[in-house]
Amino acid sequence: MPYISRRNFLKLASRTLLAVSGLLGLGSLVRFLGYQSEPDSPTVFDLGAAANYPVGSHTFLPDIPALLQHSESGFTALSLTCTHLGCTVQQNGSELVCPCHKSRFGGAGKILHGPAQKPLPALRVEISPDGQMTLQKS
Amino acid sequence: MQRLWFAIASTMLFMISVLAWRTESQHPRPTALTPTLTGKVEYCLTCHVDLDEISPSHPVETFGCVICHGGEPLALDADLAHASMRGGANPSDLAVVESSCGGDICHSGSAAVHRDHIQRVATSVQATYAGAIANIRYTFGEQASLSPTFAINAVTDSSSQTGITSLEEFDLSSESNPLIGKFSENCLKCHLGVEASSGEENARFTGCAACHTPLQTFIRKEGELGAIVTSGAEEGLHTLTTVISYNQCNTCHNRGNYDLRTMEFLQRAGHSLDRLYDYYQPVAQFTQCEYTLDCIDCHTRTEAMGDGDIHANQKDIEYVQCKTCHGTLTELPQTKTLTNPDDIAFTLASINPVTDLKLGDTILVTEKGEPLWNTRVLPDGNYTLFAKANGQQFIFQPVMGSDCKQDPARQDSNFCHECHALER
Repeated sequence: MPYISRRNFLKLASRTLLAVSGLLGLGSLVRFLGYQSEPDSPTVFDLGAAANYPVGSHTFLPDIPALLQHSESGFTALSLTCTHLGCTVQQNGSELVCPCHKSRFGGAGKILHGPAQKPLPALRVEISPDGQMTLQKS
Repeated sequence: MQRLWFAIASTMLFMISVLAWRTESQHPRPTALTPTLTGKVEYCLTCHVDLDEISPSHPVETFGCVICHGGEPLALDADLAHASMRGGANPSDLAVVESSCGGDICHSGSAAVHRDHIQRVATSVQATYAGAIANIRYTFGEQASLSPTFAINAVTDSSSQTGITSLEEFDLSSESNPLIGKFSENCLKCHLGVEASSGEENARFTGCAACHTPLQTFIRKEGELGAIVTSGAEEGLHTLTTVISYNQCNTCHNRGNYDLRTMEFLQRAGHSLDRLYDYYQPVAQFTQCEYTLDCIDCHTRTEAMGDGDIHANQKDIEYVQCKTCHGTLTELPQTKTLTNPDDIAFTLASINPVTDLKLGDTILVTEKGEPLWNTRVLPDGNYTLFAKANGQQFIFQPVMGSDCKQDPARQDSNFCHECHALER
């Protein structure tokens, strides 16, 4: 086993510790700089081909959440987020009912019974020239 | 010497780096939730992902945690995250309830009177304890009449219909009679602002959660009477419900007697798990329906939570009697056919769906018009009631047309008990 003097040992150990400390620091810096904040909720949703939604269809889109309706006059979409506190309303017969506090809305989002004070807002539907449909929340 | 210092400095730097790295590595990977209501990210679910949904009216995806509980939404260190929580584990404590549960879209300041819960509860007898304080001060000559002057917390209501528009905060230091001090020490243990006494049978929270987080529901017995096997303290912690069994009410009511000579509270032993023996105190008389049903089956939300006015005592706010459901020899109980889909009866029934209430149903209503939404008038002239705590159905008859000989003017329960009291 090669002899190593106390002085050289201290020198080697110090440099090794410095190097490891530097690596740890560098790792922390990379991690800090690489931090990504939580992404904002999406505001535009790809609904696929408009042809998938025939005239007369009512489609619940739970991930948005929204109700997409296709009538003779075209596509309309209604937010299903209750305007009271933000729960997702559910269809009950011809009405939309909030399961949290029982606000009731008509098919077009009109308030039938509070505590919600505002109607369910309409959402914008766009169809591209190639027939693909998107929905915008704001 | 210089090399030695260099070695020491390197070692210390290394130790600090390792310590910092280890501390950082121990933080869990955050679980983010962005509640619809606030739109702001919170990391509470990183640790509390297994917590039960508190109620169908408060889904976590909509409310999150912070809007009710406070706290630091982005902290991953438990102490830091919990440091600024409102009311500790109980944001419904009356000291913080306005911040936690209030607001005109929630439980205070709402244009809809029946939703202004916090104001009603804060002025209710269960929060003010005005009657007990006035009675004791009057008994020991500290005030000239039974009219209340003091409450646990000062309350004002300029529009109070009872004539009592304000009560001052009860201040023990201004009382000279030592028995008032003993009353304060031994008997002021059951208003909504005070922590429960020790003992599992007294387990309840303060504020709204005193009733709506019914810890007693989660206390079970096994085999013979009184063999408690689980404490329920963890199981029932994160619950808000309108399903409130009698034994939750019994954490305060029917728990014992005051000894007016010594100003001590003589508490009954054990849990109120056996309805026949434990519902009421041993000296009490009651009928079968009074002990078979739960308190909330007869007593209305207004009686329990107050009507927004300041009342002198419990007797002033309680008004439901036997005749509310059974009528008298000369009058049937009041009823109402539901024709308006906005009737509050439907809201109440939807919160606790033990029965499917429909338009056109005829239900009983109290003398003040409160809907007894869990009742129906049957085609044969009898009535049915669905117990709010478990949905059990009961059929009962009106007094009119029966063999009862009770004077219609004498309807206090003690008159009914003369014939209908049950033996234990």
